[in-house]
Amino acid sequence: MLVQRIFASVLLLVCAGLALMAWPYQAAFSYEPVGPRAFPLLMLGLMGLGLLYMVFRPTPIVHSDDDPQLDRDTLVKIGICVVLLLIFAGTFEPLGFIVASILIGVPMARLYGGRWLPSAVIISLMAVGLYLLFDKVMDVPLPLGVLDVLEN
Amino acid sequence: MDTLGYLGQGFGVALSPYNLVTALCGTLIGTVVGLLPGLGPINGVALLIPIAFALGLPPESALILLAAVYLGCEYGGRISSILLNIPGEASTVMTTLDGYPMARKGLAGVALSLSAWSSFIGAFIATCGMVLFAPLLAKWAIAFGPAEYFVLMVFAIVCLGGMAGDRPLKTFIAALIGLFLSTVGIDANSGVYRFTGDNIHLTDGIQFVVLVLGLFSISEILLLLEKTHRGQEAVKATGRMMFNFKEASAVFAVNVRCGVLGFIMGVLPGAGATLASAVAYMTEKRIAGAKGTFGQGDMRGLAAPETAIGGAACGALVPMLTLGVPGSGTTAVMIGALSLYNITPGPLLFQQQPDIVWGLIASLFIANIMLVILNIPMIRIFTRILAVPNWALVPVIAIITGIGVYAVHATTFDLFLMIGIGIFGYILRKLDFPLSPVLLGFILGGLMEQNLRRALSISNGALEILWSSPITFGVWVLTVIMLLMPIVRIWRKRSAARRTLADV
Repeated sequence: MLVQRIFASVLLLVCAGLALMAWPYQAAFSYEPVGPRAFPLLMLGLMGLGLLYMVFRPTPIVHSDDDPQLDRDTLVKIGICVVLLLIFAGTFEPLGFIVASILIGVPMARLYGGRWLPSAVIISLMAVGLYLLFDKVMDVPLPLGVLDVLEN
Repeated sequence: MDTLGYLGQGFGVALSPYNLVTALCGTLIGTVVGLLPGLGPINGVALLIPIAFALGLPPESALILLAAVYLGCEYGGRISSILLNIPGEASTVMTTLDGYPMARKGLAGVALSLSAWSSFIGAFIATCGMVLFAPLLAKWAIAFGPAEYFVLMVFAIVCLGGMAGDRPLKTFIAALIGLFLSTVGIDANSGVYRFTGDNIHLTDGIQFVVLVLGLFSISEILLLLEKTHRGQEAVKATGRMMFNFKEASAVFAVNVRCGVLGFIMGVLPGAGATLASAVAYMTEKRIAGAKGTFGQGDMRGLAAPETAIGGAACGALVPMLTLGVPGSGTTAVMIGALSLYNITPGPLLFQQQPDIVWGLIASLFIANIMLVILNIPMIRIFTRILAVPNWALVPVIAIITGIGVYAVHATTFDLFLMIGIGIFGYILRKLDFPLSPVLLGFILGGLMEQNLRRALSISNGALEILWSSPITFGVWVLTVIMLLMPIVRIWRKRSAARRTLADV
């Protein structure tokens, strides 16, 4: 319940901030009766009303049986996973697709319970395989990054 | 009888060797995607959009591919429900109730083929319904002006909340989040930059592939971390693979009833396959009465939800094709795909590009037949895929998701945005918010705003235009009924609770 209240309050603040941001949106000249700010403001307003109700009367969350409670361990894992994804996004272009994939794929496989050697082998093979499949066969250009030298 | 002529033309498009191979690839990819945990029809279809675009597929082939993937995903979700007792997605929850007990009895092969058959009949009935009603609806929809469209979209959003059942408020908030996100970017009418924060990557708005993959793939990857253990072993599919004639005729009446029901539920915006399968199961359970062994592996209990899902999946395409208003998360993704090809679904599509519409309808028939045939030789391979451990699967899903997002604009900004949206989606999921309304709101938002502004430009700012025509008025009445539905439901539940308290 408390988590929902906090979430709703934070989102309510975000709504208010966005509404302030939207306030000066006005067309320099316009032939239309409705400008660019009416619709976003309407949506934010309705969302605000809904969130306000949620702050005071949050609905209980029904937990299913196979849905374990979040503990510290899982939260740490989720944190690591997010960091790995961010590293992936950050190194995607500078290091290239293959290196970035191996760099984050192997620790990620470890995170989900894989052992070192099989994880390293499978992820490396998949990274190269996916690169060949998408870049060469399907014409989706992917950056080579540091492996650029191999191309020529 | 133009309809039959058009349908023949559609089969001409769908039966061309190129499109047949496309449909076959689509059903195979879809089945595998539906099988794997962490991927469902929504992100399966979304992942393929940039790839179909990069491959340079012509629009009708791309649409056929996406529709085949969609049907394949529904089929793949069924395999994990029957063999593992783990529903791949919300709509197959009902399938596990009788499908898994059937598999435990040693009828796994029969359960799988019978469910494919049921789903085929459901889809067949719905496709026939589509052939009959879609052109009529399209003809009628030409009379729609901007005001009518705006009201219709309000109705579609409200329907979502009204039908969603136990958490209408959260559904509304989720839809509003989607509607709001659609306003990010440059405003087409006035050229004002909205909510971009001076970031050039946001001027075009949020790419919808980024939103879909963030919301559904990334959040699922994080969610899978909580469930690292896998308790159940897959039931081995041995023995007889095919159902026999007696079994098929025993469930035929169920198939017909649930197919019609599924089609109707699929056409209604917001209801969709999940609700259709639940209603079908409950109704058939009641009809069977005490004689049924529902819950212990009754074949009718397997056939009912499967037929309804098949019917609803095809029925959902009717509002998408005729009105351009999607009724479910997956059809919302398809609209997004069409807009990449600069095709606007709606009544005019039937007149201007009959090849696309009827080719799609015909390929639905063909994809369904392919799925029934694929079931027999491929099921052993599919069950082997189920045994792939999460640690090998999840990083690959993450990497492919990255490729899908990067393929759209080739900027890493989109990758960061996707991760941000994914974390937000994860939080929403943990707080029990449904995610597909966000997607639906996002797709409808742009259309809704354009139609609202156009309508008010026509009336020069007078709001009466929004309810003065008979169509708009009728839709408003329906909207109010939908708004009242959850309130009535809650009120009923409360009075029932009070009564039981009084009895004690």
